[in-house]
Amino acid sequence: MIKISNLTKVYRTGAISVTALKGINLEVAKGSMVAIMGPSGSGKSTMMNILGCLDRATSGSYIIDGVDVSTLQEKELAKIRNHKIGFVFQTFNLLPRLTALKNVELPMIYAGIPSKERRERALKALDKVGLADRIHHRPNELSGGQRQRVAIARALVNNPAIILADEPTGNLDTRSGEEIMDIFQQLNQEEGVTIIIVTHEREIADHTRRIVHFRDGVIIKDEEVLTPISARTTLAALPPAGEV
Amino acid sequence: MDILESIKVALEGIWVNKLRSALTMLGIIIGVAAVIAVVTIGQGGRAAILSSLESMGTNLFVVYPSSRNATTPITRQDLITLEDVEAIKNIVPTVKAVAPTSYLSIMTQVGRQKEKTTIICTGQDYKSIRNLELVEGRYFTSEENNSRRRVAVINEELAKTYFSGESALGKQVYLMNTPFIVIGVVKNDPSNALGFGGDPPKEATIPFHTGETLFRNLRIQIEGQTYSKEEVQETIDQIVKLLHKRHRNEGKYRGYSLDQEVATANKILGIIALIIGSIAGISLLVGGIGVMNIMLVSVTERTREIGIRMALGARRRDILVQFLIEAVVICLVGGTIGTILGTGGALAVALIAKWPPLITPGTIFIAFFFSASIGIFFGIYPANKAAKLDPIEALRYE
Repeated sequence: MIKISNLTKVYRTGAISVTALKGINLEVAKGSMVAIMGPSGSGKSTMMNILGCLDRATSGSYIIDGVDVSTLQEKELAKIRNHKIGFVFQTFNLLPRLTALKNVELPMIYAGIPSKERRERALKALDKVGLADRIHHRPNELSGGQRQRVAIARALVNNPAIILADEPTGNLDTRSGEEIMDIFQQLNQEEGVTIIIVTHEREIADHTRRIVHFRDGVIIKDEEVLTPISARTTLAALPPAGEV
Repeated sequence: MDILESIKVALEGIWVNKLRSALTMLGIIIGVAAVIAVVTIGQGGRAAILSSLESMGTNLFVVYPSSRNATTPITRQDLITLEDVEAIKNIVPTVKAVAPTSYLSIMTQVGRQKEKTTIICTGQDYKSIRNLELVEGRYFTSEENNSRRRVAVINEELAKTYFSGESALGKQVYLMNTPFIVIGVVKNDPSNALGFGGDPPKEATIPFHTGETLFRNLRIQIEGQTYSKEEVQETIDQIVKLLHKRHRNEGKYRGYSLDQEVATANKILGIIALIIGSIAGISLLVGGIGVMNIMLVSVTERTREIGIRMALGARRRDILVQFLIEAVVICLVGGTIGTILGTGGALAVALIAKWPPLITPGTIFIAFFFSASIGIFFGIYPANKAAKLDPIEALRYE
């Protein structure tokens, strides 16, 4: 599914060059749920950008779904981002002027899907994240947790090979964060969606089945989580939420 | 992403920034309206002037003494005489009518009122040559001319000044302390339409021979008419040749035709239209720069949006097209409103000035073409800037 071999990334600013990634080797199997952890400056953000095809590696190869993206042009990278990757950001990154429905339709516009099908698929995706009754709301009319669910619906809607989530619970309270993790776990277990979560919170990482630790541009530990936390169980134990 | 979706996305972008889009449009609206109004009013005015010139007949000609092409100044021997005029009438076959004419500017008087007046001393054929229309009374006859009668045909403007509303017929007008009887009133000469804006000049026409006794040494110019427009130039040449032969001189006479006048007027009016049009064009240019300015602000403001769109799979081309279409739509909508306003303004002016309203599809097409070009020209730089953004940087932009 994802195969990264001997990948390096060097940033050059004037005379100084900084090596952010030093020969990374990583494989992520289809249908798995992986966390990437590490302190700031560990290279996990760089890894995230390269995994998301927003940036290109200096050397090494990155194969996603059988396509070596390290050799692709800008135009083809945009296509990969559109078809194979679904982003979920810490700050949600929804377009503020568009309704939830229109935000979810956005990736399909760039995929060239006709408007009727777009609407159907967007409605289905929003239903999946439990927002069927909020489709005409704008982001500022939604709670943080709801916004992140819109973002997840948007990430899902083109049936990507992986969902890349960058600190997806970072801006949320515990309960909303747990709800997001619940959605991820359901998507992973029931629909076999591959999910990679970048986080610096151990508790969040413990919801996955594998944690890859980064430090100083290398992987220092690749650990298996034997008993991942079930978000659903945690949610049941939390006191019922007041209306958000 | 197909073009229809791009247009939709661009329209949404314009719609969410209603006020700003409207203000940006205003620059284009004013620019296009100014260009359309100026061009249309210019064309209408030109047509009005030319048609009134042509209504006098393009087979008119004037020959007069001029030292412009001569080595020596005009002397008494070079002046055109009444005998010359008779000779022309008899010898040059293409001449339909001819009148010795002399223009003077003096003060005339009725009662205590004095007015500066152009006195035209001429023959009885002047009326038909100039295509003058009588409002009341009659023109003087050749007998009145030969017997040096003190009769005058005044134009409407002079009649209005002296006898406001009343019939001028039979009234006395004093020229050089000599009373003249008004026997006719003619319409104002349309050839004075060139001096639009002011009042038409006040004119009084008297028989040539009467004028001779009143004013010594009248300088004659020959005004005449040929049978057809095509003969005018040839006739002028023949008359000039005949005059040189009769006076045994060279290069002392010149002639011009109304046809030439029309061509000259046309040329001058064209230049004026071009100058004013260029000034109006500058306001369109300023409007275009306004569009670029706002698009640049918009790109900076929406950096994050651009980053998000790129992350979701927008190609650089999609971003470029989105912003370009936004600029073009602003310009096209502004251009449409401007065209309506400019056309309306031009129609109003045409109505007031009683000019033919000349709104050609060409003008409107040019306005459209221009606004779209301005959109592309001033939109391409901001759009390109947007498309060149680095998605990672753009996503991080606060």
